[in-house]
Amino acid sequence: MGPLVVNEIISENTNLLLAFFVGIAFGFVLEQGGFSSSRKLAGVFYGYDTVVLKVFFTGAVTAMLGLLFLSLFGWIDLNLVYVNETFLQSAIIGGVVMGAGFIMGGYCPGTSFCGAAIGKIDAMIFIVGLFIGVFIFAEGYPLWEGIYKAGFMGSPRISEFFGVSEGILALLVIVAAVLMFWGGEWAEKKFPREEY
Amino acid sequence: MSENRKSNYMNPYLAGVLLGLVVIAANFISGRSVGASGAIKSTIIAGVETIAPAHAESATFYKEYTDGHKGNPLNNWLVYQMLGVLVGGFLSGILSKRLTWKVEHNPKITSRTRLLFALGGGILFGIGSQFGRGCTSGSALSGMAVLSLGGFISMMAIFGTAFALAYFFRKLWI
Amino acid sequence: MKNISLTPRMLITAILLSLGLIIAAVPKNTTKPYKLTAPQILDELKSGTQYLEPEQVAQMLVEKDPYLQLIDIRPQNEFEKFSLQGAINIPLDNLLSEDYTEIFDQDVKLNVFYGNGTTQANEGWMLLRQLGYSNIYVLRGGLNYWAEAILNPTAPPSTSPNDDLAKYDFRRGASQALGGGEMAASQQSSKSPAAKVPGPKPAGKKKKVAGGCS
Repeated sequence: MGPLVVNEIISENTNLLLAFFVGIAFGFVLEQGGFSSSRKLAGVFYGYDTVVLKVFFTGAVTAMLGLLFLSLFGWIDLNLVYVNETFLQSAIIGGVVMGAGFIMGGYCPGTSFCGAAIGKIDAMIFIVGLFIGVFIFAEGYPLWEGIYKAGFMGSPRISEFFGVSEGILALLVIVAAVLMFWGGEWAEKKFPREEY
Repeated sequence: MSENRKSNYMNPYLAGVLLGLVVIAANFISGRSVGASGAIKSTIIAGVETIAPAHAESATFYKEYTDGHKGNPLNNWLVYQMLGVLVGGFLSGILSKRLTWKVEHNPKITSRTRLLFALGGGILFGIGSQFGRGCTSGSALSGMAVLSLGGFISMMAIFGTAFALAYFFRKLWI
Repeated sequence: MKNISLTPRMLITAILLSLGLIIAAVPKNTTKPYKLTAPQILDELKSGTQYLEPEQVAQMLVEKDPYLQLIDIRPQNEFEKFSLQGAINIPLDNLLSEDYTEIFDQDVKLNVFYGNGTTQANEGWMLLRQLGYSNIYVLRGGLNYWAEAILNPTAPPSTSPNDDLAKYDFRRGASQALGGGEMAASQQSSKSPAAKVPGPKPAGKKKKVAGGCS
């Protein structure tokens, strides 16, 4: 069974076609969830709208649970699923720079495509910025290649890192997410904004 | 300009569950997840290879990519996926009647300011996504789904920094 | 009784928490339902990734590395005559017996097969590899080469490159530590196939997954 491509159940070209459909679903859900609006997205950082928090963490937790259950039933081999590599310094630097970009631009790359799809001009400008940013990174690559590759830790899962089972870690993440949902709704009541 | 906008969106938890299902589907099909910045990188590389092939052969960044990837960089899972995102977002916009040309901004700032900051934010996000080896979708969301340590670190750095800087950019948003 | 309205937040909390409790309570699925195709195995066989160099194994033996599990794949009577330290005997004929699944189905120890040469060990490796077990390795050259390279190393000519001399010193040391010398000495000089100085333990072989935002 899954992953279908790695196990050669479907061909590479079918894979690309399916990527297109996955993308459609991805874009549709993001837009329906309100991720096409930068003011809604930025709301989470001021407490007036925590939709990002709710959608993002519900999504992450659902996906995590789903993959663990699929693996439990033997429908997917989690060893064949890509786990992002961890380069410690680079991950932190990247996260900090992205966080700054997020609060300034009000979008992240995925959501900006979504905003652009429904005609948000600020989203299109943000995408132009993304291209410039990646280009700057590419051209200046020799300057930061060292730091980019420093602190390589392989592809550890957090559960391996802390030495607990994946299930228990999943439960901890869920508890954290639920606490955030309740905190978020509390914040929305505390810092209400009607018109935006 | 924002009558009953709030009720117009899907319930966030429902949207989140659906988002999770999309990530699961992506993983089930190809063993990898969603991502946006990778598509931009592929496009840049394809562009440079077309416009300045000599440069693409000599500069380290492009060479490392072509060494690791065969074929046309545009023939890539993430590129097709991002095309899908445009279509999906558009369909959703039609369905919920949200298709309009506009610059969305806080009434307290001008469109010009908003666009300048959008450009700056985009540039920073573009650079950051390369360091982080993926953006909020590719690194944080997908990374959390597979319990990747790097994904969690990126996610916390992104949201932590944005929260820390929120005060300084408050004029943009509230 | 007061009516409690079910908000989406409470609903999602309830669902996620209960599913989380379930996933935390059940053990991880460890069955290996995915078999390799014949061409994949052929590829691995061709590239020779299953081999561990005798030096590497000797080093682990000397250090009493707890991760090493030597498996003698020859018939029992041969095993009783001579075997490597700490090896267990699983004759090729009994390889698929249920008694041994526990030995193969784990991710901690390195299972290293050896026979007199490499043919039997390779046969065993292929069988198990096809069943999806990934931590099976083969001692390069088998016992014959082991005797030649580790137990009775021949000094290389003094004009040899430093690498060869260092290798010889290592083998001498390993030979003494492992009680070698009493096996029939072989006179040919060891023309070793680029034996590596023991490096890091080989990682489990995985199919490569493309991914990430890069």
